[in-house]
Amino acid sequence: MSGATLGTDDRSRLLLGTVLVVVALAVVSTTIFDLPVAAILTVGFVERALQAASPIALAAIGGLYAEKSGVFNIGLEGFMIFGAVAAATFTFLLGGDAPSQTTLWLGILGATLVCGLLSVAFAVLLVRYQANQIVAGLAVWFIGLGFGPFTAVLLWGNRNSPGLASMNSVTVPGLSEIPVLGSVLFDTSPLVWLAGVLAVAAWVVLFRTKYGYWVQAAGENPEALDTAGIDVTRIRYAAVIFSGLMAGLGGAVLMAHAGSFTGTGDTMVNGRGWIAIVAYLFGNYNPIGAALAALLFGGLDMLQIQFQTAGIELPNRLVNLFPYVAVVVVLTVWGSTRMPSSVGEHYESEE
Amino acid sequence: MSDADSSPARDLLDRAADRVLDLTVLERLAIAAASTVLALLIGLVVVAAAGYDPAQFLRFVFVGSFGDAGATARTLKFTTILTLTGVAVAIAFRAGVFNIGVQGQFVVGGFTTVVTILWLAPVFPTGTVGGVLLMVFGTLAAVVAAGAYGALPGILKAYADANEIITTIMLNFVAVGVVGYLVEGAFRGEGNRAPNTERLPEYVSLPRIVYDNPDFSILGFAVALLVVALVAVVMARTTVGYDMVTSGYQQAAATFSGVDAERTIVTTMTFSGMVAGVAGAVFAIMIQGYYSDPAGVGTYGFDAIAVSLLAANNPLGVVPASLLFGGLDSAASYISINSDVPVQLIDGIVGLVVLFVAAPELFRMAAKRTGLGGADR
Repeated sequence: MSGATLGTDDRSRLLLGTVLVVVALAVVSTTIFDLPVAAILTVGFVERALQAASPIALAAIGGLYAEKSGVFNIGLEGFMIFGAVAAATFTFLLGGDAPSQTTLWLGILGATLVCGLLSVAFAVLLVRYQANQIVAGLAVWFIGLGFGPFTAVLLWGNRNSPGLASMNSVTVPGLSEIPVLGSVLFDTSPLVWLAGVLAVAAWVVLFRTKYGYWVQAAGENPEALDTAGIDVTRIRYAAVIFSGLMAGLGGAVLMAHAGSFTGTGDTMVNGRGWIAIVAYLFGNYNPIGAALAALLFGGLDMLQIQFQTAGIELPNRLVNLFPYVAVVVVLTVWGSTRMPSSVGEHYESEE
Repeated sequence: MSDADSSPARDLLDRAADRVLDLTVLERLAIAAASTVLALLIGLVVVAAAGYDPAQFLRFVFVGSFGDAGATARTLKFTTILTLTGVAVAIAFRAGVFNIGVQGQFVVGGFTTVVTILWLAPVFPTGTVGGVLLMVFGTLAAVVAAGAYGALPGILKAYADANEIITTIMLNFVAVGVVGYLVEGAFRGEGNRAPNTERLPEYVSLPRIVYDNPDFSILGFAVALLVVALVAVVMARTTVGYDMVTSGYQQAAATFSGVDAERTIVTTMTFSGMVAGVAGAVFAIMIQGYYSDPAGVGTYGFDAIAVSLLAANNPLGVVPASLLFGGLDSAASYISINSDVPVQLIDGIVGLVVLFVAAPELFRMAAKRTGLGGADR
C-alpha cells in the first residue's frame, strides 16, 4: 500500500485528536445552543442505551471470533434477522397471544439453536466448499430479508408480528436502591446482564485459555497450528458456528426487548448486524472493547427519545441516522484495524 | 504468504478475482444455471412445506413472468431497472471494489431527477421538445448527484482505508432516511396526503410503443441497453476501463504497471454511482412519475448484486441475468394478486441464488461425484 497508510503512532494521535475535537464541539455547542445536557444524559438514557447495545454486542462478539479464526462472517445481519423472527415464532407457537416470561426465554433459546443450525450449513459452504466469504455473507442477509418477513406473513398474515411479550426487568432487592448505578445495573433487563457476562467470558476464553489461542492461531498462523497437531478446519467450523449462534441470540434479544417482530423495510434488525462488524473493528478485536463500542452505537440509537424529552426539535427520521453516520465517521478516522493475517484464506492441511 | 505491506483485505479481493477469472465461460453459465435451479427447487420445497401447491406456484412463476404481453411488459419494466443497477454493480465488482451502495445512489439519483425536472419545468417550453429537454437535464442531474454519492465512499476507501462494504451499506440507510425526510416535508407536493413529491408534468414521459403499459416504454429498455454497450466499451477499450479491470484482477500487478490505485478506486466508485443515477432517473421518469418515500421504492440496488454476480460481473452478461430476475420480480407481483403464497419467498430465492453463485466449488464437487459435465479440475 502507498502513502495513505498511517503508522500506529500517527493513528493513535489522529484518534486522540478526533476525540478532542468531538469533546470541544460538544462543549461549544452546549454553551452556544444552550443544550440541556443534564436532560439528555439521564439514568433512563443509560438504561435504554444498554438495552439497545446488547444485541449489537452479542453479534459483534460472535463476528469477532469468526474473524479471529480466519473467516470473515459478513452474514451477521442475516443471522440477526433469523434470530429475531425465530424468537418471535417460537414465542408465538408456544405461548400464543399472551406468552409468559418463561415462554419468551424458551423462544430466545430456540432461536439461538436454529441460528446455530443455519450457521452449520453456512460454515460448510465457507470452509468446505470455499465459498467467497463476502458474497456468501451478503447472501445470508438477502435470504434473511426474504425468509424473515415470509415467515411472519405465513404465521400472522402480516410482515409484522402482533405484540407478544417483552422481557421484564429484574430488580435486585437492596442493590437497586443505590443511586444511579442501582437502577442502571440492578433494575434492568436480564438480557443486558447476559450480554455483559458473555462479553467478559468471551474475553477470558479468547485471551486466557488454550481454546482462545487456537482460535487466534487459526487466523494468524494456521500452518503453525496444524504443525502443533490441532485441526485448523475444526477450529474454524466452531468459530463460524459460534458467530451465527451469537448473532442469532442478538436478534432474539432485540425481539425480546421490543416485544414483537417487525418485518417491514429492512426488518427490525435494520443494519445492527453491520454496525456489529464495525463495533468489533472499533473495539480492536477485543470482546470487551467491542461491547463498549456497541454501547456507543446503542447510545446514539437512543438519542432520539432524549432529544424529545429535552424539548429539542429535531426530526426523528434524521436523528435515527446518527448511528449510521457514526459508523462512517468511525471507519474513516479509525481506518483499517489490523486484521488477522490469514482472514479469508482457505486452509488445506498437507495431509 | 502475502508480503508485509499489502493489506489482507486486498489480498482477499485479489484471490476472489483470481478464482472468478479461473472459470471458463461455459463453467460460469453452468454454475449460474445450476444456482438458479437449485434455489428454485429449495423455494418449491418451502412452498410445499408451508402447505401450498408447489406445481401451481411453479406455473404461476412462468405465467406471471412471460405468460402474455402484459406479463412480458411488466418483466421488461423490472429488467430495465435491474439492467442499469446491475451494470452499476458490475463496474465496481469488476474493479475489485464492493459497491453495496447502488441502492442509495439509485435513490439519490431518482430524487434528484424529480426535483430538477420540477424546478426547471416552468422555464422550459411545454410539449415534446420541452419534455425531452427536461428528461435529459433530469437524467444529467441524477448522474452528477449519484456519481458524487458514489465517489464519497470511494474517497473514504482510497484515502482513509474505510471498508467500502460497510460505508456503502451505511450510506444506503442515510440516503433513504434523508430523502424520506425531504419527501415527507420540504418537497412534499401541495395537498398530498402521502409523502410524495409533486407529479412530473404530463409531457415529461416516455411514449408507450409496442407495449401498452403505463409504467413501461421500450425506449427505457433501449436506454438501458445503450448504457450497457457504453459501459462494455469503456471497460474493454479505454485506458480508464483497462486500469479498473487490471486493478480488480491483480492489484499488485496494476500498481507495478503504473496504475494509481487510489485514483482508480475513486474513479470506479464514481462511474458506478453515475450508472446507478441513470437507473434512478429512468425509474423516476418511466415508472413513478414523482418521488415517494424511498423506503418503499423497491430493492433494485440490492437485487442488482445478484444480477451482477450471476453475470460474473460482465456488463453484457447483466442483460440476460436481469431478464431472469426481472421475470422473478414480475412473477412476484402476479403471485401476490393471484395466490396466497407470501411473495417475500421470491426475495429469499434471489438470496439463495447469490449464496450458490458464491460457492462454485459446491457444484464442481457435485459434478465430480455424479460424474456429470466432466469438470475434472
